[in-house]
Amino acid sequence: MKINDNCVGCGQCASFCKKGAIEVKGKARATDACVECGLCIPYCPVKAIEVTA
Amino acid sequence: MKTIVIGAGLGGLLSAARLSKAGHEVEVFERLPITGGRFTNLSYKGFQLSSGAFHMLPNGTGGPLARLLREIGADVDIVRSEMTTIRVPLKKGNSDYVKGFKDISFNDFPSLLSYKDRMKIALLIVSTRKNHPAGSTLQAWIKSQVNDEWLIRFADSFCGWALSLKSDEVPVEEVFEIIENMYRFGGTGVPKGGCKGVIDALEAVILANGGKIHTGQEVSKILVENGKAAGVVAESNKHEADLVISNLGHAATVLLCGEALSGKADAGYLKMLETLQPSAGIKICLAADEPLVGHSGVLLTPYTRRINGINEVTQADPELAPPGKHLTMCHQYVAPENVKNLESEIEMGLVDIKEIFPGKRYEVLLIQSYHDEWPVNRAASGTDPGNETPFSGLYVVGDGAKGKGGIEVEGVALGVVSVMGKILS
Repeated sequence: MKINDNCVGCGQCASFCKKGAIEVKGKARATDACVECGLCIPYCPVKAIEVTA
Repeated sequence: MKTIVIGAGLGGLLSAARLSKAGHEVEVFERLPITGGRFTNLSYKGFQLSSGAFHMLPNGTGGPLARLLREIGADVDIVRSEMTTIRVPLKKGNSDYVKGFKDISFNDFPSLLSYKDRMKIALLIVSTRKNHPAGSTLQAWIKSQVNDEWLIRFADSFCGWALSLKSDEVPVEEVFEIIENMYRFGGTGVPKGGCKGVIDALEAVILANGGKIHTGQEVSKILVENGKAAGVVAESNKHEADLVISNLGHAATVLLCGEALSGKADAGYLKMLETLQPSAGIKICLAADEPLVGHSGVLLTPYTRRINGINEVTQADPELAPPGKHLTMCHQYVAPENVKNLESEIEMGLVDIKEIFPGKRYEVLLIQSYHDEWPVNRAASGTDPGNETPFSGLYVVGDGAKGKGGIEVEGVALGVVSVMGKILS
């Protein structure tokens, strides 16, 4: 999961992640626990999450 | 009458609920899979965190939002907060909490002043109720009246908590409107169920009146015909309407109007949009087994580096946390120049929290920051440009179009009330 510069760090993605794989401190960051399921993508209010190819 | 609402945040849903109650055919389009915008709950590790706001109504049961909810018939139980307190150093002259502190009541703020300044404040409290000061920032006005460092700290922590601004950024007129509203409506309250308690109640009203709420549907265009709003395009489908209400703030709303907004007559409006500044802030959510604040109101913290104020929402609604746990939320203002340094701003906030709660055990649940496209307020308090747009039948509501003297969601409610007055009169 790639998180682009739109991210403001609101943490909305972290609350919807089923794997607890997102850390937030000023910006969100996907940890190694991320399985690239993409569930968080539509919940981002600023379109900051992109699927890594 | 058909009304389309863009955005299911608090302003959008308040408008939709009020109009559906008045007999409008209402349809709400929300881009995200969830409703509530920055005024709903986020479930996290068993706690009901919030997507933005602090599960708090700044003017409680008597405020503009509570009144509007009653008028709409939205079933929300608001718990009145017991008090607002201010944490001050034990010894006068100390500039932080490290060597001890005590909490005083909000109304006792003059007790830290000299006798002469206390008298001056007592007179000002009377005289300014009739003649509100105007034409400067709050800070400049305070300095022109009383030269006292404590008052500036107090003003900064209050403005930081309530508006996510510093006292030298807030017009003194706006602050006196806020003070007037505090006299008029009273202090804070917490809605049962948190922000989502309000959102759920509004949705129930909309659905009961036959309104529709679509989530996961992004509006890509506002249709304008002969200078009048005529509908929207959402996910490639055209939806006609008599009225369009946007919850997106003025700038994003205008972008959706596209080429319709190009006439010279709109130049002033477009120029005004360029001056709009969103406000930024950080919320640090804490979990604890024991109470940290100890009451359901606000604890202001003027003697910190960054944290302005804290509330402990489980004091009002224990169900916002797992059994036996407390949820405590700390807010800090972020200056525009520090938005690029959020990590170091957060570090300072975390050190503050250690000093505010020495010897207490707590866990940092989640740190949430808000700025730019997802800010504290789309229009910093005191700069809101009203609810009208260059097009008839197109109104803006929400935190980019708040009413005067309304703190946060109270301002959102005042803005909606103003639009409803125009539409329903």
